[in-house]
Amino acid sequence: MKKTINRRDLLLRSLQCAAGSAAFTALSGKLQLANAATLARPKSAVLRGTDYRALVCVYLYGGNDAFNMMVPTGAGYAQYANARADLAIPEGELLPIAPVVPPSGGGSFGLHPRMPEMQSLFNSQNAAIVANTGPLLYPITKAEYNAGTVPVPAQLFSHSDQTVLWQTPQAETLNRRGWGGRLADLFYSTNVNQQLSMNISVSGENVFQSGETIVPYFVSTSGAQAIDFVQDVPWQADRRAAFLALRDASYDHALQREYARRVTRAMDNQAMITNALDTATPLATTFPDTYLGQQLRMVARLISARNTLQMTRQVFFVAAGGYDTHDSQLADHADHLEELSGAMNAFYNATLELGLGPQVTAFTASEFGRTLSINGDGTDHGWGSHHLVVGGAVNGGRIYGTPPDLTIDGPDDAGWGQIIPTQSVDQYAATLATWYGLSDTDRDMVFPNLSRFSGPNLGFMA
Amino acid sequence: MKTSWLILLALAMSAPLPLSAAADHIFDTGLEERAEGPYSDAQAARFLSQATFGATEAEITRLRAIGYNAWLNEQFEAPATEHLPYLQAQQALGFEIYQNARQEAWWDRAITADDQLRQRVAFALSEILVISDQSGAIEGQPFGMADYYDLLVNHAFGNYRELLFEVTLSPLMGHYLSMFKNRKPDMALNIRPDENYAREIMQLFSVGLVMLNPDGTVQTSGGQPIPTYDQFTIRGLAHVFTGWNWADCPRDQGGQWWEWEFCPIGPVPYPEPGWDIGWLLQMEPWESYHASEGTKQLLAYPGVSLPNGVMPAGGLAMDNLNVALDNVFEHPNVGPFLAKRLIQRLVSSNPTPAYVGRVAAAFDNNGSGVRGDLRAVVQAVLMDPEARSVAPPSSHRGKVREPLLRQTHLWRAFNAYSDVGRYNYWNPEFSFGQAALRSPTVFNFFLPDFQPTGELTDLDLVAPEFQIATDPQIASSSNALGGSTYWAWRGQPGQQPEDVVLDLAPELPYAQDPVVLVDRYDLLLMNRTMSTSMYQVLISHLATIDNDSNPNNTLPTEERRRRVQDAIWLIQTSPEYVVER
Repeated sequence: MKKTINRRDLLLRSLQCAAGSAAFTALSGKLQLANAATLARPKSAVLRGTDYRALVCVYLYGGNDAFNMMVPTGAGYAQYANARADLAIPEGELLPIAPVVPPSGGGSFGLHPRMPEMQSLFNSQNAAIVANTGPLLYPITKAEYNAGTVPVPAQLFSHSDQTVLWQTPQAETLNRRGWGGRLADLFYSTNVNQQLSMNISVSGENVFQSGETIVPYFVSTSGAQAIDFVQDVPWQADRRAAFLALRDASYDHALQREYARRVTRAMDNQAMITNALDTATPLATTFPDTYLGQQLRMVARLISARNTLQMTRQVFFVAAGGYDTHDSQLADHADHLEELSGAMNAFYNATLELGLGPQVTAFTASEFGRTLSINGDGTDHGWGSHHLVVGGAVNGGRIYGTPPDLTIDGPDDAGWGQIIPTQSVDQYAATLATWYGLSDTDRDMVFPNLSRFSGPNLGFMA
Repeated sequence: MKTSWLILLALAMSAPLPLSAAADHIFDTGLEERAEGPYSDAQAARFLSQATFGATEAEITRLRAIGYNAWLNEQFEAPATEHLPYLQAQQALGFEIYQNARQEAWWDRAITADDQLRQRVAFALSEILVISDQSGAIEGQPFGMADYYDLLVNHAFGNYRELLFEVTLSPLMGHYLSMFKNRKPDMALNIRPDENYAREIMQLFSVGLVMLNPDGTVQTSGGQPIPTYDQFTIRGLAHVFTGWNWADCPRDQGGQWWEWEFCPIGPVPYPEPGWDIGWLLQMEPWESYHASEGTKQLLAYPGVSLPNGVMPAGGLAMDNLNVALDNVFEHPNVGPFLAKRLIQRLVSSNPTPAYVGRVAAAFDNNGSGVRGDLRAVVQAVLMDPEARSVAPPSSHRGKVREPLLRQTHLWRAFNAYSDVGRYNYWNPEFSFGQAALRSPTVFNFFLPDFQPTGELTDLDLVAPEFQIATDPQIASSSNALGGSTYWAWRGQPGQQPEDVVLDLAPELPYAQDPVVLVDRYDLLLMNRTMSTSMYQVLISHLATIDNDSNPNNTLPTEERRRRVQDAIWLIQTSPEYVVER
């Protein structure tokens, strides 16, 4: 692509930089960033007002067995129980949910017995379930899948690959640009603070938040950490000066440059983040003392500090592991779902406490669902799966999409109980991105495959 | 001595600098007549940074004295220092044994064991043939996990086919990737064989997802990578890996289902010694639970022994397993796949295809017609011209040092030990983002093809270790190294018997002159790759640590120690050290 620099934009951004709290030393790096973002952004992208919006990706590493998370009840239960055999959740233990609109295909459903909070959120219409969603290149039927006449993404069923497929909007290329990163490429300039990345992860590296130019900033569940031995204090001044001289020297080796950049960023942001967290009003909402709970607590704390941090658009990433339940699934999966339900509920309550219910949306993602067939006490890698979306802006209390036929070798079974998705990740993501403020033109650029599917918006966001 | 640094300091202050201070290091002297090298202390230190857990002054001297080949032969023949005996000894002393003890064993071996190359290669293998105590299935098995690690230690210079066999039948791997008690299909109960191990042994331990050329580059068709296998292969292999249970299961009643289901871990009841011995024994087959019936699609590739990669129906569990492991092991991908990974762990993140090809060739044939000889592979990795030469920085060769290896380097270089003799550093992952056999998943701490967004992606360079170099980890690893350097030295006030402390006393004489001190660490820590500018920053800074206005006075011990500490820590947190060329 031919690249030209939009000087007006550049000027605008440098003014924003100067007006913001950005340190002067970080300016040149940021200008490069702004530069590149300008190039990546089409003309149609209009930067919107100053209202706050945040998307929170709750990633479930390993492949969540959503067919044991949302289970058909009543007439549909027998089909499920037959498929899941020893791993079936007893019908009487399921927590009934009451969709305000009957789901496509009818039927009644219950949630896993360890998810009472999610049941309440759904029934109070603050949570939606998006059914049988997964990575696709085109809509595909079982006959087409078996005949190989319609392309599917490469390396389906592999953890590492489907993780990327779930996070990138360009399934053909498996590149490391996630749709959260692409959103940030387009929106980051709305934030007054141009030093801190728009995308913050409490769970380390991920494709989702990495854009053309945007790289996520990382915090731990306790926030940011200083390098203790080179603090900006008189008795460390000489050592700090030497450390900074080494850090800021010019390097011919690209990996050395990258390390120096990372150190610079960690140091520049640490004081800002720590100060903002320390001065924010403490949250009254209590979070479960689980890893996911504490990660979402940190997200809520960062959101509570949004004014100090001068952020109006943010994308967060948290994650839990252990969903690869090849073994002892009944016990392990139940614990994970309890953690998930409790943590997402606490986070929703925190958004209410902050008065931001309709402005913050949390959603699940996970590389695949699991096979309907079992291997004794566990399940294997599947394809389509159900997902949860929680927030005040969610058209909640509904199931979007058609829950699949759970018959082994049935019409939705690609083989061995790997269920063919009927909604694409692109549609799921684009619906969230549209709520976030992405224009239709930008949407089609970020999600180039979206037009292949019927309906660019699944309708679960207000 | 004081004059030399004053002159250099003066030079450092005046820019531009006419001469390179780094090039003006004290000349190496040694046995230049030996054919294979190393020909300088710098070359020796560089080799040791790749082949051990960190260079020491003594080892540099020794390597120079005996040469690469003698050193390698010595290491190849040295008896293995196993980790399990450490845990058993601790237990005999009355300690409760948890995963902590396994981490202690790892530090002890990394810092003190004589079979350094074996230990270093075993650590590399532990990041390829991954199990982890983060899995609930094995977190309670420190003895078993130490025994698994020993399997890597003992086979580090053995044959990869045997290693694959051992790993496959380890009950630790069996539990980690759920091949243990994996059973043949039962259509009535909708039970199919577990695909977990079948999938990962191919994707992560042997052939990878896509077809490789002999030099490790990806084979494509119509612009797309060619997949190595499909779901049918995974299912076929999953059928092979069925029917494995604890060793020595009682089958007095003819191998009934309850005997399979309730097979005890050992021959005696809990808590008699030996009740859990099964964790240290290979899994054993049960034919009644093995999917013998039906053909099995295995890997198909040019030259494959099985017709079209299909295993015929029938056969015993062990025979089928061996046929399948042969099918995997003989795949042409294994050489370049493993070569790339070992090079990345020991030498460089972005080796040239030619380098990968040379190592892969050694995997394919050790020179005596044997395939999979890891001794030949390790030798090829280390003695390759690309490993032995220092490329200019602009070539982007080398790699980010793994955070754990920065700590082992520090402790080895400065002879760290505790008075009680233990290295009780139990949770290095809190600071470094890694600890032995403690990765979040079977995908290790980082992926071999991880590319940070930005410049490295633009340059198409990978840098696996950056995947864990998050903002908090950069701070915490720098702080951990700082804690070890500033607060844990032998003789410090308040030193406890269990504190692992650096021995800084031998360093103090060098600290009188910053030039001498930095020159020493340029060799010991950086294989003399320090740039002139870095050299100048350090000596300028160290010179300021002197409260006495008269530079001719002897520097007090306290200030010498501060110079030593600042020199070490500033080097260990610098871009030029963190990324070794």
